[in-house]
Amino acid sequence: MTATCNTTSTARGAMHRLALAGVSCLVFALTGSASFAADKVTLTYMASQDWVKDAEQTLAKKFEEKTGIAIDFQILPSGQYFNVLQTKLNSGEGPDLFGGQSGVTDLKLQYNVEKNAVDLTNEPWATKEDKLVAAQSTLGGKLYGLTYWDVLGNTWVISYNKKLFAQYGLSEPKTYAEFKAACQKLLDNGVQPIYEPVADGWHHVLWFPELGPRFEQVTPGLADALNANKATFAGNPTMLSAVTELKEMFDLGYMGKNALADVYTGASKAMASGKVGMVLANTGFGSLVEHDYPDMKASDIGVFLMPLADNQQVNINPAGPTHFIYSGSAHVDAAKQYLAFLAEPENVDYFIDNTPTAMTLPFDGAKSKFSPDVQALFDSHKDARGTVYQTAVAYVNPQWMDLGADLTAMFTGSMGPDKVLANIDKRRADLAKAARDPAWKK
Amino acid sequence: MKSHRSYPFYFVLAALVLYVTFFIIPSLSGIAYSFTDWSGYSDEVEFVGLDNFRTILSPDENYLSFIGNTLLFTFWTIIIKTVFGLALALLLNQGVRWFVNGYRVLIYLPVILPTLVVALIFRSILDPASGLLNSALRGIGLDALALPWLTDPRIALYSVIGVDSWKGIGYIMVILLAGLQTIPKDLYEAASIDGASAWAKFRFITLPMLMPALMIVTVLNVLYGLRVFDIVYALTNGGPGYATEVLSTEIFKAFSKGQFGLGTAISSILFLILVVTGYLVIRVMERQSDRE
Repeated sequence: MTATCNTTSTARGAMHRLALAGVSCLVFALTGSASFAADKVTLTYMASQDWVKDAEQTLAKKFEEKTGIAIDFQILPSGQYFNVLQTKLNSGEGPDLFGGQSGVTDLKLQYNVEKNAVDLTNEPWATKEDKLVAAQSTLGGKLYGLTYWDVLGNTWVISYNKKLFAQYGLSEPKTYAEFKAACQKLLDNGVQPIYEPVADGWHHVLWFPELGPRFEQVTPGLADALNANKATFAGNPTMLSAVTELKEMFDLGYMGKNALADVYTGASKAMASGKVGMVLANTGFGSLVEHDYPDMKASDIGVFLMPLADNQQVNINPAGPTHFIYSGSAHVDAAKQYLAFLAEPENVDYFIDNTPTAMTLPFDGAKSKFSPDVQALFDSHKDARGTVYQTAVAYVNPQWMDLGADLTAMFTGSMGPDKVLANIDKRRADLAKAARDPAWKK
Repeated sequence: MKSHRSYPFYFVLAALVLYVTFFIIPSLSGIAYSFTDWSGYSDEVEFVGLDNFRTILSPDENYLSFIGNTLLFTFWTIIIKTVFGLALALLLNQGVRWFVNGYRVLIYLPVILPTLVVALIFRSILDPASGLLNSALRGIGLDALALPWLTDPRIALYSVIGVDSWKGIGYIMVILLAGLQTIPKDLYEAASIDGASAWAKFRFITLPMLMPALMIVTVLNVLYGLRVFDIVYALTNGGPGYATEVLSTEIFKAFSKGQFGLGTAISSILFLILVVTGYLVIRVMERQSDRE
């Protein structure tokens, strides 16, 4: 009986030890894997469609190989991006990194960076960023964003199919009248004069505030007067001409039958098809078309300035899509590492080499690859350039999509050009009052 | 002997506290904020009286047209979903003899598809240049009917209504089918013996007996239609221009732009419309039901 008990007791002890060993192994395995999992950081980066280039995604993979930190890109349709981002920021649930347009007004009004973004002033790349560009990401003396975008070469110009222009005896228009005549000639010959993607909600807006340098040329000091609440958009004859001419282009069918359904991602295909004469695009568009459709060479695409309101000023925008680190992120240091990695000279050059639309990036020593046509345009307008109004004038950029809806309503006949301008003033006043802007206080 | 037993008040206290904390207080706060200029651009919140409501009801603004679009959407989706839902329910209840369950599944299928998926599919189908619908219409020589379904402001809202009705008819059909199956067969047999026509049976038996189910679907449709958001947002985002903007998409846009005071004011108006419309619909249908 005792022997049996001892045997049983020994067997139980062995079983207990075995169970204990098993549990220990399990605990070790679980804690081991938990510890491993804890080391693995994934940063979410939310951005608007078109802002995240393939080259950045490749760089993100290299960054992951180097540091073990993965980047989860959350790319949203451009028409919905601001609504979704701002909802997340306003509800305190922002992603680790988020994309946003730089520009001092936007920093404060659209993104409230002093609350939502991390101060990056002391990051190693901060001193290497172009000062004009960095100024657009700076608020209250603190740098909040890394502008990884070809803002200097990102001038929106009209890219045109040189062969079609030559075929129909057209030259680069310098006035609205010449531009209209060229459009009509193309239309008469069965060519869609302009591919204008209105469906995106943002692209057709470019035709107006990008003409800021022209407005400034006609009325010197207008931007300052607008910012001081001493001038309005409504009643400005140059602005009214520009918007009226834009409507006329739509009404005359120059933008094609499907402009309201067209999207910007279809622009290079449209140009390469040879059925479209012109596209309002940034200076890298020719390279993009050649990249996407090698049968059409970048050298087949010429450029000229937007000739609405007889504009002949180069429209420079030192602001552009920028990377911000969300202040509520649990991985601020990892996010800073990612931005520092992007700004390393070899990665900057890699981005430029592998992004057809990027001619350069705003960092010291970055390479430049402007086409001869674009270079010639810049060279011939060295003394005729200015800052676009979405950057020069406060409270314009935050209403970009609203202005887009107004212009679409104007195209479809439910709003007139004068009402479009009056609405800009109304929204500026609302935004300024909400921001307690002293210039708008009675 | 007591027929009813009373329970002490504290039995409901926990539920009441939760309800007040998470529903009543936020709702009242929302209404209170609609009288302020609360925005994401300033930390100060000031009382502005009826300013937000004046803005919404001003003829110079677009908000009245958003209210109109919301009501139009609600009206037409109720009509289309109820009429087609009832027709399909009648067919499946009496007209179809085989593969009934298969038809039910097929008609119900769009209901379980995510709205975003439905919207993406229909954006492709309704594309004016390369969409399946216009290609088919052109293919059979009906070029004149190949319209810019989602980009013409005159028809865009009706296209959204059509897509939403396609998605929602199955749900209405299931409720009405359940209602039809509760109607005793002997009523129809007695009517047949009396020589009643099919229309007479529908008018004097089916319709009155189906009134509770019809009331449910109407109330559900009213509540859904007035609060519609996802299908509009995903199909047109309120465009072209403001042609399909409804109250809920505008509330979302106001909040996302940091215009919290204005957003809550629009929400309060929507709440008021919901309460008034819901009450009127229930009263009218109850009266109709009593008359039957």
